Amino acid sequence: MAGQSIERRDVLRILTLAAAASQFPGFKDWAFAHDHSSDEPHLHAIHQKQAAPARAETYKPQFFTPEEYLLVAHLTELIIPTDDTPGAREAGVSEFIDFMAASDPQLQPPFRRGLTWMNAHAIKLHGARFMNLSREQAIEILSNLAYKNRHRLGEEDGQAFFSLIREYTLMGFYTSRLGMQVLDAPSLKQYYTDSPACPHVDNREHRDLKPKY
Amino acid sequence: MQIRKTRKLYDAIVVGTGAGGGMAIKTLCEAGLNVLALNSGRRLDPAKDFRNHKLSYDLKYRGFGDPKKRDQYYHIENEYSDGLWEHGITYTTAPGTQWEWPRCHAVGGKTNFWGRSAARFGDIDFRAASLDGFGADWPLTYKEIAPYYSRVERMIGVCSTVQNRPSNPDGEYLPPFNFRCLDYILQKGCEAAGVPYLPDRHAQLTRSHNGHPKCHYCGNCTEGCDTGSFFSTPWFLLPAAEKTGKLELRTDAVARRVLVNQKGDASGMAYIDRKSKQEVEVYGKIIILAASCVETARIMLNSTSRHWPAGIANSSGQVGRNLCDHLYGTSGNGYLPQLLGQPSFPDNISSAQIAWMPRWQNLENPRQEKFIRGYSVYPYGGCGDYPWYSNRLEGFGGQFKRDIKRYYPTPVGFYCQIPSLPSATNFVEIDPEVKDVYGIPVARLHFQWGENELLMWEHAKNICHDVIKASGGEYWGAADRPETPGYSLHETGTCRMGDDPKKFVTNRFGQCHDVANLYCCDASVFLSCTDKTTTLSILAFTLRTCEYLIENFRAGKH
Repeated sequence: MAGQSIERRDVLRILTLAAAASQFPGFKDWAFAHDHSSDEPHLHAIHQKQAAPARAETYKPQFFTPEEYLLVAHLTELIIPTDDTPGAREAGVSEFIDFMAASDPQLQPPFRRGLTWMNAHAIKLHGARFMNLSREQAIEILSNLAYKNRHRLGEEDGQAFFSLIREYTLMGFYTSRLGMQVLDAPSLKQYYTDSPACPHVDNREHRDLKPKY
Repeated sequence: MQIRKTRKLYDAIVVGTGAGGGMAIKTLCEAGLNVLALNSGRRLDPAKDFRNHKLSYDLKYRGFGDPKKRDQYYHIENEYSDGLWEHGITYTTAPGTQWEWPRCHAVGGKTNFWGRSAARFGDIDFRAASLDGFGADWPLTYKEIAPYYSRVERMIGVCSTVQNRPSNPDGEYLPPFNFRCLDYILQKGCEAAGVPYLPDRHAQLTRSHNGHPKCHYCGNCTEGCDTGSFFSTPWFLLPAAEKTGKLELRTDAVARRVLVNQKGDASGMAYIDRKSKQEVEVYGKIIILAASCVETARIMLNSTSRHWPAGIANSSGQVGRNLCDHLYGTSGNGYLPQLLGQPSFPDNISSAQIAWMPRWQNLENPRQEKFIRGYSVYPYGGCGDYPWYSNRLEGFGGQFKRDIKRYYPTPVGFYCQIPSLPSATNFVEIDPEVKDVYGIPVARLHFQWGENELLMWEHAKNICHDVIKASGGEYWGAADRPETPGYSLHETGTCRMGDDPKKFVTNRFGQCHDVANLYCCDASVFLSCTDKTTTLSILAFTLRTCEYLIENFRAGKH
């Protein structure tokens, strides 16, 4: 039988199990030794919240200038937008990128140059900085950078920068709690009583499964 | 600097607390010997040092590591296990050699973080030389070591199924992990490709065992287990040893050399205290080196004296020689379209080590393939900690986010475990010039992958491609090249065992031919890595060595 994942309502059941588990010698000494104020057993993710990010307009960046930071936030939102599921903005991805750039001098020139390139390119095409373009104009520019079959000569710097900021956007989003929730990552539900088993007992080849997503 | 000498004469001094050291310590203490154990690093506090339950956003750099440090990380080291791997004690490589040597210096060594694959060696491994004519047979048969494998499996708990493959002998097993969706799909593909796909022999508790709680499948095993639900020395061996009251464990003690008496027998150990940097001498009737394959050889080669100008117990000249390693590499990856858009599933339990494809080559006929011997493959995949496959998908925006979710359960990959053959080009010696931060001459590694293992690498890539296709999958590719030598952490051979003292360092019981009270209890005594991992065998061989040692001790021979 597949293991059951833990939900908040199962807290009591886990407390019972934990009490039983704590009979094992050594286990009680520190398996629950964690700096949490409650007596709850160590439920891996339920209590591990992540603080909500600051609004991009008021956040004080460690590396980027305030203007650069707004552009970074804008780009991350275009790459992983908020729609029926959370996106990069709610997950504070721009804070993550700012922190990683501040921590890694090697990242700083490519990010700074890349943001400068985006603005220069936007001005060249549309007479306005990137933040002031319409959504359609912005998406058009990014599409030419993102898809190999749309790559244009002379835009190699932009293609490289897009690749860089996309990678960091993904890193920041999918290591955030919101991003992990969008994936429904198993790491968020880390307690099973039995070894989880494939539920497709009559279809081990997994033929013609109906996709849920 | 003054050398501090300890008065007490211990019955046995054990250097190292990994699988071999841990088993030696427990076995000897329980037999009533006074044991001094020396460990290079400190004791761990699982509550503080194991970050396995941390989620990525609990870590300062989200798990990607401090940019100032991450280039120095070993491949197995990361933000979760930062601080537990040895960087102060350096090593060198000969020109043209690449070698990565991750060492965990904390008590328990690599057993704190190991991969937990725990298969028995068989006669196909012990008698390989008789079968294919290359190298030397081991000085024992499977029948002699089988009872020790059984006792170890009962001690530590290994889960698997009965598989009736003599090349991969069955043991005493707890129920296996259940197969995930990707396991069933790949198993069918393997069947079509003529390759076995079976539950791994896994030293992880699917049932509580001897007072150890069963696994709760959180998935971050290789960052350390804070419930002790898989074998490690600190959880499974040290408590029993400490209960006897016969153990003294000194931490932060970096072994420098074996001391000898007037007759050239081992008389003790000299070590450097990490904190005071002072050299300390301790004396014992028996010395057991269990510092891991390369380090044990280093200690012996550094233990020169007028009796042993080439290093203690090295009249054969073979100490440090016959170094073997597993060639590891990503032999194929891709994705399974059958699982597109499926809900997420906890594929990453047990760090995704559920199944394996045990050696299927050269079983009936030792020279069927272009290479001799054989290798195994481990599959992995499914819903993981991070969607690395997203770099295979172009685009951005809402559809891109949806695609990342759709593909989440689908990626699969394989890494191969290929044994190298012993070769004159592969050995460890002492660097003539370089010393480490404690003033101890460092190990210098010489290593090249040989033709046999490179043929297996090509074979593995072809097979993994075929398996992915036969599973109905889409193939993305394989790694350009294998991983750096040393990556597998399965080195063997530097003090290999055999009956002839001219060609082998230790006898069939891991006792040095030249020095009767010096024993080796790690993979240095193994002649080959085989297609299987080393830890279970280290435990079994050490148990056997220690019972032989205890007999000798009680008979007054030491």
